[in-house]
Amino acid sequence: MSAVFEDGLSLFGVRRMMEGVIPPVLCTASAERVPNVSYLSLCEYVDPLHIALSYQFFNRSRENVLATRRASLTLDDPYTGAGVVLQLEYQRTETEGAVFERLRAKLMGIASHIGMDKVFHLRGADIYRVLEMRRVPGRRELPAAQPRVDLAASSRLLSERMAHCEDLADLLDTLLGGLSRLLRIDHAMVWIADASQQALTLLASRGYETGGAGAEIPVGEGLVGTAVREGVPIRVGHMMNMATYARAVRDSAGESGLTAMLKNEIPLPGLKEPRSQLAVPLRARGRVLGALFVESLHDQYFGYDDEDALMLLGGQFAVAMSLMQPPEQETAAQAAARPAATFAAGPPLRLKRFGRDNSVFLDDIYLIRGVAGAILWKLVAEFLRSGRREFTNRELRLAPELRLPDVQDNLEVRLLLLQRRLAEQNAPIQLEKAGRGRMRLNVGRAVIMENEP
Amino acid sequence: MALTDEMIAMLSAGVAHQVGGCTNTGRPVVCRGMAAQHESGRLLVIISSESGFEVLDAIRQNGNIALNVTLPSNYRSISFVGNDAVVRGSGAAWRPLVTERHEAFRQQLERYGIPPDFTNAWYSASDEQLVAIRFTPMLARNQTPGPGAGGAIELKPIEFEK
Repeated sequence: MSAVFEDGLSLFGVRRMMEGVIPPVLCTASAERVPNVSYLSLCEYVDPLHIALSYQFFNRSRENVLATRRASLTLDDPYTGAGVVLQLEYQRTETEGAVFERLRAKLMGIASHIGMDKVFHLRGADIYRVLEMRRVPGRRELPAAQPRVDLAASSRLLSERMAHCEDLADLLDTLLGGLSRLLRIDHAMVWIADASQQALTLLASRGYETGGAGAEIPVGEGLVGTAVREGVPIRVGHMMNMATYARAVRDSAGESGLTAMLKNEIPLPGLKEPRSQLAVPLRARGRVLGALFVESLHDQYFGYDDEDALMLLGGQFAVAMSLMQPPEQETAAQAAARPAATFAAGPPLRLKRFGRDNSVFLDDIYLIRGVAGAILWKLVAEFLRSGRREFTNRELRLAPELRLPDVQDNLEVRLLLLQRRLAEQNAPIQLEKAGRGRMRLNVGRAVIMENEP
Repeated sequence: MALTDEMIAMLSAGVAHQVGGCTNTGRPVVCRGMAAQHESGRLLVIISSESGFEVLDAIRQNGNIALNVTLPSNYRSISFVGNDAVVRGSGAAWRPLVTERHEAFRQQLERYGIPPDFTNAWYSASDEQLVAIRFTPMLARNQTPGPGAGGAIELKPIEFEK
């Protein structure tokens, strides 16, 4: 069977009709030819001849399909009002594998977004062979919207710029800046997974009133958490009536597909009334290292092409990040001790650490936790002990008390996170680069360290 | 069986209409409807002969029909099923009803940012293409998304005038 149907249509060509903006309509019939019409949650492109439909509940449609194996499906173009009608033959139900995981991730991402993740449950991905497809005749179609940018050319340019970056900070700024200037994506966040804590930490954001570096969300929650857990992109293109619901959820727990842990909470950046959101996993060396999250105030802002482009750029970012270890020629001995600094007058700064999770507070205000918290504790302790302000990445990497994990928890990432969090807080302690593979600690007030188990 | 007052009210509240049928060879077919109204225990639904030609063929073969109406504001969705559907009359006589339903539907979708031009694309049939289908609802099914989708909803007995 050809992959080109009547009217020159192809399944790939009508992918955007499967976005769910206009819910697909499924018509089945019993063996006695009694029809049944219902709306579906999700339709997913599988290959040029097959699609997958979500199977959530055992209902009349499913009963009919199992009896007759036939169905008809209509899809509507969310941009032009055009429509297609498909004749389908049921093949099988998959309960695992790539297609199932993609459908489940999308369903859970959307469900979690609107707080319905306990209700929405994917039982299977029903695979259908497309026997026929034709255009719905007689519609006064609207012209297709012009793409906002040349995504391929813009992505290539951004990719080339990223390839020239020499350190993580530069790479991060190039990515977020390029998304805005070249791809016209003005609201973006980069989240980094911390496998040991099953949490995601916000490394950087762009386009929000607050930066939010160091904010955390659990893996598996919201669009970002689900994209990371399942390792697939998740896109919500038309919030419509979800917006009101999502806003209510955000007010109570911090939502944007992102629900902050209430403990040690750093305020999350995010649009108050997003209309489109997309989360893509950052994957390198076969592992998901985090997620790139983008959102917009406009409906249907991100399409399949954006998903493709961000997957490629995110992949490049992830690989570069995982490989980006600075030169380590210098030893700790070369980072010479310096005379103790003189501090501004005033009460000393209380640096408090809770050992159970390395969470660190400055004057009782939560700063950061995990590896980044442990690093700050070590640097300040060394500074108070010896007066030394410059440190090498190498000595940190070799420090047994930091218990640095493998490449997934790249030291550079944690240092950058700590540096940005201190800067955002305008803290009396600041961290800055002091050359390749070296950093300098600037302490503006006397410090008292308090350690809690 | 007849529709309840709530069902009748729903028909004019700005619902989306989907009309399904099944040919004698077992081919399920579906098209978008444009208007529906209750007529003394029977249902009238208007579709376009151009976009709904397959559905009209199926109904002419065996009279089986499912009319789904869904209100965009709350996803409330009901299907009415019948087995005595007939295709009756066409033309400009149905335009006032179609215009009224189109307007109500347009207002529903506009709340969610869908512009009128978009809704108009679904209502672009000419007067000559408007076709009426009448049937007696034998069964109503709840099609609101969820575990109960497909379950029967009670209709009320037809009350004949004395």
